Amino acid sequence: MSIEQLWELARTTLKDAQGMGAEEATVSLSRQTEVNLTRRAGRLEQATQATSLSLSLSLLVEDRFSGHSTSDLRPEALRSFLQKAVAATRALEPEPERRQPPLSDCGSSLTPEQLDLCDPSWEALTIDQRRDRLEELEKAVDALPQRSQILSATCYHMDSSGESVRVMSNGFEGMQRGTGYGWGTSITLSEPGGRRPEATSWYSSNHISELPGIEKIAQEAWMKAERRLGSGPVDSGRYPMLLDAPITGRILGILAGPLSGAELHQGRSFLAGKLNTSIGSKHLHLMDNPLIPRAPGSRAFDSDGLRAKAMPIVEDGVLRNYYIGVYYGRKLGMAPTCGGRSNWILRPGSRSPAEITKELPKCILVTGFLGGNSNGLTGDFSFGVQGQLLEYGVPTKNLSEMNVSGNLADIFHHLQEPASDVWTWSALRSPSLLFDSVDFSGL
Amino acid sequence: MLSSSPGVPVQHFEQFGITHEAVRRLLSTALARGADDADLYFEHLQSNSVALSDGKVNRASTHVDLGLGVRVVVGDSVGYAYTEDLSLEAMLRAAGVAAEIAAGAKSIRPVAMPMERRYSDRYPEGRPWDSVGMELRVGMVRDWEQRSFSLDPRVRKVEVSLADATRHILVCRPDGRLVPDIQTMTRAVVVCTAEQEGRRESSHYNLAQRDDISFYTPERTERLCRKAVDNTTGLFEAIKPPAGEMTVVLAAGSSGILLHEAIGHGLEADFNRKGISIYADKVGKPIAPAGITVVDDGTLMRARGSINTDDEGNPAEKTVLIEDGILRGYLHDEISARHYGVAPTGSGRRESFRHPVLPRMRSTYMEAGPYAPEEIIRSVKKGIYCSTFSNGQVQIGAGDFAFYVRSGFLIEDGKLTTPIKDVNLIGNGPKVLESIEMVGNDLVIDEGGWTCGKDGQGVPVSQGMPTVKVSKLSVGGSAR
Repeated sequence: MSIEQLWELARTTLKDAQGMGAEEATVSLSRQTEVNLTRRAGRLEQATQATSLSLSLSLLVEDRFSGHSTSDLRPEALRSFLQKAVAATRALEPEPERRQPPLSDCGSSLTPEQLDLCDPSWEALTIDQRRDRLEELEKAVDALPQRSQILSATCYHMDSSGESVRVMSNGFEGMQRGTGYGWGTSITLSEPGGRRPEATSWYSSNHISELPGIEKIAQEAWMKAERRLGSGPVDSGRYPMLLDAPITGRILGILAGPLSGAELHQGRSFLAGKLNTSIGSKHLHLMDNPLIPRAPGSRAFDSDGLRAKAMPIVEDGVLRNYYIGVYYGRKLGMAPTCGGRSNWILRPGSRSPAEITKELPKCILVTGFLGGNSNGLTGDFSFGVQGQLLEYGVPTKNLSEMNVSGNLADIFHHLQEPASDVWTWSALRSPSLLFDSVDFSGL
Repeated sequence: MLSSSPGVPVQHFEQFGITHEAVRRLLSTALARGADDADLYFEHLQSNSVALSDGKVNRASTHVDLGLGVRVVVGDSVGYAYTEDLSLEAMLRAAGVAAEIAAGAKSIRPVAMPMERRYSDRYPEGRPWDSVGMELRVGMVRDWEQRSFSLDPRVRKVEVSLADATRHILVCRPDGRLVPDIQTMTRAVVVCTAEQEGRRESSHYNLAQRDDISFYTPERTERLCRKAVDNTTGLFEAIKPPAGEMTVVLAAGSSGILLHEAIGHGLEADFNRKGISIYADKVGKPIAPAGITVVDDGTLMRARGSINTDDEGNPAEKTVLIEDGILRGYLHDEISARHYGVAPTGSGRRESFRHPVLPRMRSTYMEAGPYAPEEIIRSVKKGIYCSTFSNGQVQIGAGDFAFYVRSGFLIEDGKLTTPIKDVNLIGNGPKVLESIEMVGNDLVIDEGGWTCGKDGQGVPVSQGMPTVKVSKLSVGGSAR
């Protein structure tokens, strides 16, 4: 289906829904082509290739709201689907807060070209080129000087291209498109006692030219796996914690729930009533910016169709904004900001992790998480961790079978120093973070 | 978009133009480059949900998914493609793409005449969910909301949802097997937020089963509301336990998450044939104390994890993983079964037609032991008792696993004392197995809606456990 046909089907579906009794409707159609390849032990282990097409729809019928999706796009099936959806919506209770925002608030802040989320070279990528890339990556792993210690190595390649169109009955029409590339390797080592520690190095980007080279990926996977050899717990207690830059999202990301209008409205957020108050140290400085070209979380409009814009979430430790969509804005009596997070940018510091940790008699470097969860209402969290015990910056023990626990209302006040090593491969651009005193459980 | 191919229609998929002739042609295309094996997986899913919040039944959703997945197997290599377009042209295109994994050098495997096969039915279809009107659903969630409010004056907010899904599948194999199944599922969730002296707590309870609307008996729905309220209000007095290694008693039921993470994933045969599981090469060897028996069972009547057929067209079975402490075998799909020279265990599962088959768990549980639960608690001088759980995770190679405890109690001098909440438990699978000291006589299969994730695919599972005492696990409590 061409992009013109996507638009045509979205507009026709919107019109049909209105004709059946919906006073408001939003129709989104998305198409995605994805290729996934896996290679192990010198041969292609799995190749998956498909193009997917699906439609989602939200309806307001007599001020009653419902949401629907289907991949059965045969005309007669779609018509029957719409009829049932409209009829089911009538049985609900009215919620006028669900009405769409005025068209004047909606729009695209940047064009797809300005966001630059599409790599034009994707169209020309052949299946042979994909296989060759993966084979080269495997060769790089095989060329590692430590190859004989590797029990198993699996290499991955993925790429995708997709676009989605959205039409709303308030008159808004918007389109998003993007490509994606990812590649990496997982390696498994063996050690006495039967443990087989594993580690993965994985990178993804909208543009193939921004992915790191294969040697870096292979070496990084080895380095990560080596950190897990001979690992075990140390004594329970309070330690300084350096959170490795690529994984800060496991702690920072917990904030997304309590920052949301839904959780605030349901009384399930420990951040309720904290706007313009301190929720962390002065080093906690977090921006939401959906307008960064080529960044994975970038977008021209949000889930309500509102123009995307950058906004501060936390400035020098002070909470400045929640994520308030149109619906919860009306429920809470607050102006909408945006419906959900885009790119999170955490302000870096000036020193490297090595410069920071060499001054510390003891510090736990956390490089990975295992399980765990959090309570958005109380702020309590508890996660399994892996990493290393550092003494004056020197690794003295590889760690596993340990937990880190605390409370979100407390831990960010212990953010002592962000490092300078910003991780740019995800929608969270964060440096490594040093917390001065955190609860660890081990022995 | 409908297929125009003539011939014998295929049950539910007749409405989409799928015929025996189309099946044979698609399989022939999938095998045309000399693959060892292939399968077609047709799926038509319809799901619905209705939800209440802020005192209003104010959200409903429906989801329809339709498509075909084509898998082509050469040795242990897999080519996979799928399409949501069930026109013959689109399906042949998908079969051709999946076939590219084969080199085209071998002889072409013939495709037998399709012959329908059905296995024992563990979830006979009752009243179809599409015959349950919206008014009835609205009345049910409204009733559960009001009942929850009535149970405790501290309850301030209640959210309720009721969901159902009906999945028609058809697995087609070159040997002529044509295996249909209708997999229903329903799930109800009540979330409560309560307030006491200015403090708020929130928790929930949920029920899930392969069943129709008759599942929601007065007794069950009373339990749904009561447990949601009790799980919430019980948190007001709860503390974080001290951090560190200690004796842990796991309550019967959802503590089966320990088995799922510490043992189950590591015994999925794909990890073992690749040599990356800590349990590789351990079949026939002791990996747990004598008396411990763990099974993965796809045959429990109406359990969330039960299946009549797996997604390769093999019947589900009860698979003994550990028998009296000895590792007896793995969970196999056909690729791993061929690798080990054993029969498949009916464990080949996938999330949808968009995903290739993997060996997966179904309902994993430990057989009951000799001890009364009270006796187990009495035996602990100092430790914790864990009642409710949420998510877990495992590292297959290292064997390290973790799971999250929502609530429980301190155990002091053989008695349950102060409530506890929100702690992560972490350990190493083989070490924890060795550390199981007592197994209760009270096996419970949990009735909640568990979903297992692996390689980006989620499948419904069940889990169960009797009360179990583990001599030491690391508890992520407070170091102060």
